[in-house]
Amino acid sequence: MKKLRKKSGDWFFGMSGLQTFLVSAAVILLICFIDKFHAGKSWIPTYGQHILVNCLLSAVLALGLNFVSGYLGQTSLGHAAFYGLGAYTTAIVLKYTEISFWITIPLGMLIAALASIPLAMASLRVRGQFLIVITYAFCEILRYVAINTQAFGGTGGIPGLTAPELFGVKLTKIAASNKGGYMILLFLIVSAVAYFSWRIEHSRVGYAFAAIREDEIAAVAMGINVRYYKVLAMMISAVICSVAGSIQAVFASMVSPELFSSTKSIQILTMVVIGGRMSIKGMILGGALLTILPEIFHSVKDLVGLSFDPWMILYGFLLVSMMRFCPQGIWGKKAEKEDE
Amino acid sequence: MVVFLQQIINGLAQGGIYSLIAIGWTTVFGIVGVINWTHGEVYMLGAYTGYFITTYLNMPMIPALLISMAVGAVIAMLVDQVSYKPLRKKGVLAATGFITALGMSQILRYTASAAFTVNPRAYPELTKQHLITLFEVNGTPVTISSLHLWILFGTVAIMVCLELFMRKTLTGKAMLAASQDMQTLGLMGVNAEKLIKITFGISGALGAAAGFFIGTIYAINPVMGALAGLKGWSCAILGGIGSITGSLIGGVLLGIVENLTAGYISTGYKDAIGFAVMILVLLIKPSGLMGYKFEEKV
Repeated sequence: MKKLRKKSGDWFFGMSGLQTFLVSAAVILLICFIDKFHAGKSWIPTYGQHILVNCLLSAVLALGLNFVSGYLGQTSLGHAAFYGLGAYTTAIVLKYTEISFWITIPLGMLIAALASIPLAMASLRVRGQFLIVITYAFCEILRYVAINTQAFGGTGGIPGLTAPELFGVKLTKIAASNKGGYMILLFLIVSAVAYFSWRIEHSRVGYAFAAIREDEIAAVAMGINVRYYKVLAMMISAVICSVAGSIQAVFASMVSPELFSSTKSIQILTMVVIGGRMSIKGMILGGALLTILPEIFHSVKDLVGLSFDPWMILYGFLLVSMMRFCPQGIWGKKAEKEDE
Repeated sequence: MVVFLQQIINGLAQGGIYSLIAIGWTTVFGIVGVINWTHGEVYMLGAYTGYFITTYLNMPMIPALLISMAVGAVIAMLVDQVSYKPLRKKGVLAATGFITALGMSQILRYTASAAFTVNPRAYPELTKQHLITLFEVNGTPVTISSLHLWILFGTVAIMVCLELFMRKTLTGKAMLAASQDMQTLGLMGVNAEKLIKITFGISGALGAAAGFFIGTIYAINPVMGALAGLKGWSCAILGGIGSITGSLIGGVLLGIVENLTAGYISTGYKDAIGFAVMILVLLIKPSGLMGYKFEEKV
């Protein structure tokens, strides 16, 4: 922890990593428990809490994809696949067996890790734009499997999952509103993943990733086992995304094939691109931005009475203009060179 | 046996449409080096152009097709000028170009659904549709719809024109050369920007033609570009990037395989088969059936 404090001055408002953690933990706890002291009065609207949970989920996904698209510099358009795999594993296990929710998270992680191996193998053979279409197709195939398998609920998915219990207390009953438990759980996961990313980035593994990102041939010449590190990055990122999926399944209390949709994959990639590749802060803020903006535009749409959703069009403009004027992302460091 | 043959013939027209889309992908990729993700949207806009001019102006089939193609060409050129040209100037195409293309396709798709609403629309009847008996097997006729025959005919005619253009004209030859080495071509005094404009124009025209043809068979909607575009890309990869004949073969193969999957395995997996084919081809034989180059373009 000492090392963390000394080196990372670039967190929020110039605070160190630990300070950021403590302050945001305090804020989250305040949001969760403030309503307990004022019976009958609600300070924080449930809708706001719902969005906050979604922001945290997005942050986990973006941090997951960051391992492949940020540190390793490979663009993937199929990470909704791992998200969906985690969610479906949890849903299927909860539906057909009596196993506790907490066991399904590692199960989902295992399945996502196994599923990531073929994709990692593909990334060894093809690169750049061809990898993008392979990952996209991989995700689409999983979607068709989910739609067409009756045991997985078909188009309707699996509804009616119960909230998990922690020491005999339901997660929805921990804090004042039913979102509080998820908020604390996800906050801890985001912190853990952010810390893990930070440690990886400044470790031997992180330097190997950087070497592969900057120049793969030179990395091979330096004796870096490119095959091993590419598989490792893909697996880490798959595992992280599957955790987000597992929690999403119980939070929404249902899963549907839409989890595998390409829209979701594009959204995850956009978070990484807009937040700034390789920037942990950028991932968290990018996730939040892409969760809050659609909600704002939805309410604008309802307010003005538009017949269509302006967000999707603006979303395209956002991507195009980001690529044109600020390809390193809002919170990203300036790229030394354009790779691939 | 009869069912099998019938499925193959039903797949032919669909396959022809896929080949048209595939050629649009492969020409742009061969010359500019970017996976033009907006191609599916050009296809959708071509279909809508056809819908509006046949429904409200009562145009017959062939002029309507030509106008759709012209509109598609203009849209594709505009997309290039607005989104790829600045990046090309900076020399940062590839992955950046791909994400830009993703954004452009979002803009086009959702502007279209805002303007045309998401309700599916159907073309008016352009030709009298009837079944033509091709031959008989044990007394059971194997038939093809006259509309499908029209589409096949149109596809082949467009491809012959394209092939002639590529082989016989100077611009066509320059395009072939560009797909092999753009830099050397610049040294030979060819105006690269003009060539790229023409390439996008051709790609857009072919995409719009495919959209028009699909509109004569099925109802059209603003989000139809996503899946069809990707299937076209699968065909281009299956046939081999950069090869027009390859795209034709790839498209027809995919059309037939899809119909056979729907007939013998499950209709639900009909759309997934193209993706599976694409992944397998990229991993096993990246140059495709007829491709002559794949080397480090990525």
